[in-house]
Amino acid sequence: MHEGSSVTTIEGLGTPENLHPMQAAFIKHDGYQCGYCTPGQICSAVAVLDEIKSGVPSHVSGSLTTAPEFSAAELRERMSGNICRRGAYSNIVEAVTEVAGRPA
Amino acid sequence: MKSFTYEKVNSPAAAATAGSTTGSAKFIAGGTNLLDLTKLEIETSAHLIDVNGLGLDKIEPTAEGGLRIGALVRNTALAADERVRRDYGLLSRALLAGASGQLRNKATTAGNLLQRTRCPYFYDTNQPCNKRTPGSGCSAIGGVARSLAVIGASEACIATHPSDMAVAMRALDATVETVGPDARTRAIAIADFHRLPGDTSMDLAQAQAAPGVLAIVTADNAGKSARAVTIRRSCSAGRRLSTITRP
Ligand SMILES: Cc1cc2nc3c(=O)[nH]c(=O)nc-3n(C[C@H](O)[C@H](O)[C@H](O)COP(=O)(O)OP(=O)(O)OC[C@H]3O[C@@H](n4cnc5c(N)ncnc54)[C@H](O)[C@@H]3O)c2cc1C
Ligand code: SF4
Repeated sequence: MHEGSSVTTIEGLGTPENLHPMQAAFIKHDGYQCGYCTPGQICSAVAVLDEIKSGVPSHVSGSLTTAPEFSAAELRERMSGNICRRGAYSNIVEAVTEVAGRPA
Repeated sequence: MKSFTYEKVNSPAAAATAGSTTGSAKFIAGGTNLLDLTKLEIETSAHLIDVNGLGLDKIEPTAEGGLRIGALVRNTALAADERVRRDYGLLSRALLAGASGQLRNKATTAGNLLQRTRCPYFYDTNQPCNKRTPGSGCSAIGGVARSLAVIGASEACIATHPSDMAVAMRALDATVETVGPDARTRAIAIADFHRLPGDTSMDLAQAQAAPGVLAIVTADNAGKSARAVTIRRSCSAGRRLSTITRP
């Protein structure tokens, strides 16, 4: 229930003139085909990177007591709630990996 | 989907009172199970009582060195809590094996324990199901039942309880605490919390049978570093075999 909560949707992340880095990376790496799942993929990708940064573990994290690190396996597990019917996954992984590699 | 009324309450006792005085009322926490079931008209509550915001979202140490976990603590927060990761790795691992990140961000400790089965026939309202419509029969027996019970089943129902977290809580001998309309608390051992199907295919947990809102789950067994071995099946989330290895 989200009475009184503020919710950031894709429109709140960036604008066509001023894209969020994740939006720009999805365009650069062609991380979509029909675009139906793209707003969710991008919002999740941004949250996933934040969660790794704040130390939230995942099913594939080797240790629970050390900080998780970005890896392709972590990304695939953490993004597994977002389904792409057209299978743009490999380009999505490239886009998110590029953003993850940027200095914060 | 049938229309329903919605109420926000400001204390666990008020929630329990609302739950016991309003016919066909349900508590709603993360809504990740209740809303799906409502859309399918398997749950047809006329009134929803929102238990978010009751201050039950904290994890606190107990005098005995255990943890009191608020019923509204989200699955992600519980799995990521430093004390849980350090002393109850089993619980973190079990939570992280379940559902997806988005769902774990919404799902609560109480809702997870009280979620209903994911038996596919239970969700298909065109099929007979004793759990949905007592006496109608069980479509799973003789049907596609790979994800259903091998032990603890009955002739009326072979459904499993789908919570990965509950398996870890059981291995840790956790205690579940409910608050009644009179604000009195009641403690239920997790071993007694979920019922086997028996001949009526009942899956109602004890807490659902008596008026009361689930408030706290206490785990006092730090150091039981058992590890949950969960066998993930690729076909669909929510159908998983869990086993526990205890030291
Ligand atoms: C796609 C999908 C995949 C999933 N996969 C898994 C999985 O792999 N493993 C797993 O364990 N789970 C899985 N789940 C289930 C998920 O864990 C549950 O839906 C979730 O934990 C329910 O929590 P909630 O807070 O959203 O509950 P809600 O949907 O809000 O409530 C569920 C039930 O609990 C009752 N309730 C809630 N709070 C209280 C309270 N404080 N006191 C008394 N009663 C209360 C409600 O009345 C309702 O009957 C999956 C769910 C989905 C949709
Ligand atoms: S196993 Fe239980 S829930 Fe599944 S169809 Fe049979 S009675 Fe219904």
